[in-house]
Amino acid sequence: MISIDTHLAVQSTSNDGRIDFNRIQRNQRRNITVDGGEVRRPVSESGVDWRRAEVRGVALVKKDGDRLMSRLKKKKTEEAASRLMSRLKKKKTEEAASRGGCPSDYVALSVSIISFVFLFLRSTLPFIIHKVPRPKGSSFWLPTVQIIASFNLLLSLAMSLNIVRFHRRHWWQSCYLWGVWVNGPLGFGLLLSSRLIQVTHLYFVFVKRRLFPIRSYISLPLALLPWVAWAALLEIKQPINNHCHMGTQWAVPHMSLPVFYIAALVVITGAIHHIEFKFDELKDLWRAILFSAFSFSVWVVAYVLNETHEEIKWLQVTTRFMLLVVASCLVVAFFSISFSQPLVSVMSLNKKESFKMKTMGEALGIHDSGLLSHNDPALDVHPNDPLHKLLLNKRFRLSFMEFADSCLAGESLHFYDEVQQLEKIPVNDPVKRVYMARHIIDKYINTGANMEVNISHRTRQEILTTLDLAHPDLFKNAVNELLQLINMNLAKDYWSSMFFVKFKEAAMRNVDHEVNNGWNYSPRLSSVHCPDDPFYQDHMSN
Amino acid sequence: MGLLCSRHKRGNQANTEENVQAAEIERRIEQETKAEKHIQKLLLLGAGESGKSTIFKQIKLLFQTGFDERELQSYTSVIHANVYQTIKILHDGAKELALSEEGASKYGLSADNKEIGEKLSEIGGRLDYPWLTEDLVEDILKIWKDPAIQETYGRGNELQVPDCADYFMENLHRLSLPNYIPTKEDVLHARVRTTGVVEIQFSPVGENKKSGEVYRLFDVGGQRNERRKWIHLFEGVTAVIFCAAISEYDQTLFEDENRNRMMETKELFEWVLKQKCFQKTSFMLFLNKFDIFEKKVSKVPLNVCEWFKDYQPVSTGKQQVEHAYEFVKKKFEELYYQNVTCEHQDRVFKIYRTTALDQKLVKKTFKLVDETLTRRNLFEAGLL
Repeated sequence: MISIDTHLAVQSTSNDGRIDFNRIQRNQRRNITVDGGEVRRPVSESGVDWRRAEVRGVALVKKDGDRLMSRLKKKKTEEAASRLMSRLKKKKTEEAASRGGCPSDYVALSVSIISFVFLFLRSTLPFIIHKVPRPKGSSFWLPTVQIIASFNLLLSLAMSLNIVRFHRRHWWQSCYLWGVWVNGPLGFGLLLSSRLIQVTHLYFVFVKRRLFPIRSYISLPLALLPWVAWAALLEIKQPINNHCHMGTQWAVPHMSLPVFYIAALVVITGAIHHIEFKFDELKDLWRAILFSAFSFSVWVVAYVLNETHEEIKWLQVTTRFMLLVVASCLVVAFFSISFSQPLVSVMSLNKKESFKMKTMGEALGIHDSGLLSHNDPALDVHPNDPLHKLLLNKRFRLSFMEFADSCLAGESLHFYDEVQQLEKIPVNDPVKRVYMARHIIDKYINTGANMEVNISHRTRQEILTTLDLAHPDLFKNAVNELLQLINMNLAKDYWSSMFFVKFKEAAMRNVDHEVNNGWNYSPRLSSVHCPDDPFYQDHMSN
Repeated sequence: MGLLCSRHKRGNQANTEENVQAAEIERRIEQETKAEKHIQKLLLLGAGESGKSTIFKQIKLLFQTGFDERELQSYTSVIHANVYQTIKILHDGAKELALSEEGASKYGLSADNKEIGEKLSEIGGRLDYPWLTEDLVEDILKIWKDPAIQETYGRGNELQVPDCADYFMENLHRLSLPNYIPTKEDVLHARVRTTGVVEIQFSPVGENKKSGEVYRLFDVGGQRNERRKWIHLFEGVTAVIFCAAISEYDQTLFEDENRNRMMETKELFEWVLKQKCFQKTSFMLFLNKFDIFEKKVSKVPLNVCEWFKDYQPVSTGKQQVEHAYEFVKKKFEELYYQNVTCEHQDRVFKIYRTTALDQKLVKKTFKLVDETLTRRNLFEAGLL
């Protein structure tokens, strides 16, 4: 009835809001109830003036009443309509607040993209600019894993926090995939685990003075196991609701796992903080720990606030923004290559300085480990002198090294050279000795190393499983074997090579004719052109 | 030459006399590059201690001027080094084997020999070996004849005893003579690990380069770290001579004592076959060290090697040797054909039984190789 009334009222008010008396009359004749009262048939017009007056009077009162009613009704509909509009708007903003698409979200997303690109460039540019060969083994894989983990972390945050609006139709957009798996074992967990492995390596090498016995392709999955187990448990129990939140009894263990790992990092860093590192490793470590702790606390606060104040929409937007920006800062601050590639970490990205690629000897400040200087004495050499005595002279050693490089046998000489540099480090400076020893092992001893030397299995194993990396006789057997190899194999060919002739000339003495007779017959080299072999590069920079 | 000469040139630009010299050298380079196009490139590949350098030495002896006296003399120190190293390896090996309970009686040196053994072991660990004097020879022979050392030598496959041990120990007195000059045979037996790349250029017919082919032969190191360097040689190769020591089926690698040598050779051969650069290259497989194989096959069954585990021994004596050899040859053939695709249809593949120490055999074998390659050249030139 009310609806009809209003309909009537609307209709009657169609003529400028004035009540149409005729219309009401017509409606009355049509038996439409107006006030719920009876229909009164109009009396004939002749003798019922007072009646008409009465009717008119009643109608007038009715008219006012109707006018009032319709005005009230109008107000009501207006209010209802506006309320509806505002409710709709609110819903939209609510949706926007909870489902992403706000401008602040896009800002955060662009910040994270920029930070990842910056991280990637920072990690690969030194290698590209200085043309450093790609390292092998765990010194390549651990930093690479960290970059992948950083990418996963940022991606998982973007997806699980609904930074960009998505309809959750596909399985690959589920909260479990991003919020649990990619964020945990493949993101933050992987980042913390790889750094934990690196720190453990440092501890073993510098404090215990031996190489870490477990290979990194076993130790990293082991370190990641708790994360994987926890993610599997969450997957089975399914405690996460539609808004990607879990209850308190699940949230507490979920947060305790990163705390445990960060605590482990702090403990091991504490165990090595007394060592005088030469390449800023400790500084990088503390920075990483600080940033991880900070971003973790931001995450906890955001989580708690979101749980307790779900209805405050600006809070959701702000926390999303903060989380993503803090995570971006974390991935940039966390990364460092000073553990695995200390030399690369001191290389400047300035292209003009690209030829000043330092050797480890130079970086550690070992005296007399660089290029030849004028002070190096020339030597009067004869082919019958014992080679290991001759090699102690720097000019001769460099000439011999050039010769060996030209016939692809240079690694033995470079190894010998760097071991000589190691022996210059005093025994009471074990940190430097360990750096140099580790560098030599990575470069020359490890299987598959770039400049792997030709030594027996036993000698290699003795070095790799040594209990004291700073021991003065660590490389003695290897040097012996290689010197014998050089003596029996290369020395003969050197005396009859062009390099020896040049050495003699450079020593400013008359060329020995006896030796010269066979100089243009050297069984080594000639058509072995290899512009981009490691020896050529190394000796260029030497 | 090019590398050398460009360096030479760079350093002497101011001096006109040396400019003339530089021009002369440039002309020689041009001549040589022209000649180079007719030079056939041969590579000697194979695992460590498979006989590549011995074949290399043989080629030098056969087709070049051979070894002059100075060069022969330079091998004296190498031969002496081999002797000391062998004794050291045997002595240290016996000491280690004697550590176990059963080994103590079997591998323990007799009391007087212990001291001598330690002394020789210490000498073997030095950089500079002393000249072989009569006294040292007496000591060495005492140790060598000690039953413990002989037992250890019987288990020499577990240690890295060189193959020349027997030969040098037999000739020890001759080696220690004051005016000793190594014979060709001594030089061929001498064991030196090759590092880097060595090459020679020769022509099988004679010094006259116009008739017959001109070959450039490259010798490389066989250990794992040396194999990284092979890739620099892989372009434009006419033929690969792959040396496989068939007597090494019960030995382990020098650079990895957990790996069987025959298995390593198998994997290496497969790897070489799959190289893209070798699609048109002829493959000559030298199944080397047949003399040692002959003696070993009756004592150590072939089945100890995983690759040969399906071998069924048959009879004894010469027949056994032939049968075993045919089995090994068949295995290599199977391996080759497993790794051949349709791109390799034209490729020549031949197997030769060799003993690199035997000069006549190597000469004969190389003549066959030369014939095959010549025929192949004519075939490619369209004349056949």
